[in-house]
Amino acid sequence: MDELDETQLKNHVDSLKQQLQFNREKTSVTIPELTKWIEEKMNEDPFLNPDVLKDNPWVESSKCVII
Amino acid sequence: MGEMEQLRKEAESLKDEITAARKAVQDLTLQDHVAGTAVVGRVQLKTRKTLRGHLSKIYAVHWGDSKLCVSASQDGKLIVWDSYTTNKVHAIPLKSSWVMTCAYAPSGNMVACGGLDNMCSIYNLKGKDGNVKVMRELAAHTGYLSCCRFLNDNEIITSSGDCTCVLWDIETGSQKTVFAGHLGDCMSLGVAPDFNTFISGACDFTAKLWDIRDGQCRQTFGGHESDINAIGFFPNGNAVITGSDDASCKLYDLRSDQELITYQDSGIMCGVTSLAPSLSGRLILAGYDDFNCNIWDSLKAERVGVLSGHDNRVSCIGVTPDGMACCTGSWDSFLKIWN
Repeated sequence: MDELDETQLKNHVDSLKQQLQFNREKTSVTIPELTKWIEEKMNEDPFLNPDVLKDNPWVESSKCVII
Repeated sequence: MGEMEQLRKEAESLKDEITAARKAVQDLTLQDHVAGTAVVGRVQLKTRKTLRGHLSKIYAVHWGDSKLCVSASQDGKLIVWDSYTTNKVHAIPLKSSWVMTCAYAPSGNMVACGGLDNMCSIYNLKGKDGNVKVMRELAAHTGYLSCCRFLNDNEIITSSGDCTCVLWDIETGSQKTVFAGHLGDCMSLGVAPDFNTFISGACDFTAKLWDIRDGQCRQTFGGHESDINAIGFFPNGNAVITGSDDASCKLYDLRSDQELITYQDSGIMCGVTSLAPSLSGRLILAGYDDFNCNIWDSLKAERVGVLSGHDNRVSCIGVTPDGMACCTGSWDSFLKIWN
C-alpha cells in the first residue's frame, strides 16, 4: 500500500467500502448446497464414473485390420 | 494526521470489518460438513494422446470445444489441434515469440494470444480464403499479457503485468472497461459460467471477483502467502479455486465470501502453475513446477491421483467442456491428453 498515491489510496478505500457491503450468506446454507451440487454431478463426471467414458473418443474403438 | 495516513488507517479498519463480517457468517466449516464423507477412490488417468509439434516450452493451452484446442509456445507458434487425431488444424506463426497465453473463442471462430509484447492479438480462423490472419491487435497494456479469455466474438478480457485487467471491444480495438485494484501483476483470469463476472489472481497474493458490466471489484480473497498463478471458477459458478507459488491451492466460497479449504501437503514444496476442476468439481487437477500434476479430492482435501509423464514443468492444464478429458501442456514441448 505504500507505493500508492493519494488518488489510488482513495480508490482503494472506496473499493473496500463497497466490498464490505457484500451480502454474505451463512456457510450453514452455502456449504451444504455446494456439496449437494457436487455430489449430484459426480455421476456424470467422466473421471469418476467409468461408464461415461465407455465411448472414449481418444481411444481407438476398433482393432487394426491387415489388408 | 496526514491525509495519506488517515486513508491507510481507514483501509486497515475496513479490512478488519470485512474479516469480522466473514467470521459472523461462518457457522459451519467444510471440514465439519464432510466429516462423514468418504474420500473418492484412487483416480488413475492414462495418457491417450501426445500432441507433438512445438519446438519449445508450451506456456498455455485452451479448449475450444471438446475436440479442438489451441496451444501457445515460445517457438513462436499457436497450434490448433484436433485432439482426437492429433492432427494440426492450424499452425499460426506469431509476430512475437514471447507468448504467455492463448484462448479459443466459444464460437470456434477465433483464437487470441499475447505475452511480452504487451498486446493481445486476435486471429480469425474462418477467413474467406482459408488463411489465418491477425484480425486485431489490442494494445494499451503497459505490462505483459498474462491471460486472455473471450466473452464472445466481439469481447475479450485480458490480464496484465501492469496490474490491471481490461475488457476490450474487438471490432474497434478499444478498451471498454479497465479493472484496476490489484497491487501486483495480474497472472490469471477466469470467466464465470454465466459471463456476468470474472476472477483475477495476482502477485499481490489475492484473487478478485469483478462485475464485468459495471467494472467494480465485488470481492477480494486473501490467504495465499505468495503469487497466485492460476485461477478458475468452480463448475457451478459459486466458488473459485486458486493455485499459488506458496505450493497450495485454495477453494473460496463466493456466497459467504470466504476461504473454505486449502489443498496442500508437506511433501509438495513447489509452486502451482495451473489448475482445472473436473466436470462435477469433485476433483481438482493442479499442475506444479515439479513436472507433475496432482489430482485432489476437492471436498476432503486429499491427493487421490497424479498425472506423471512430462519431462519438465507442467505449465498449463485444461478440462474439456464435457469433462471427458484433460490436456496438460509442458515446458518439455509436448501436450498430453488424459482420461
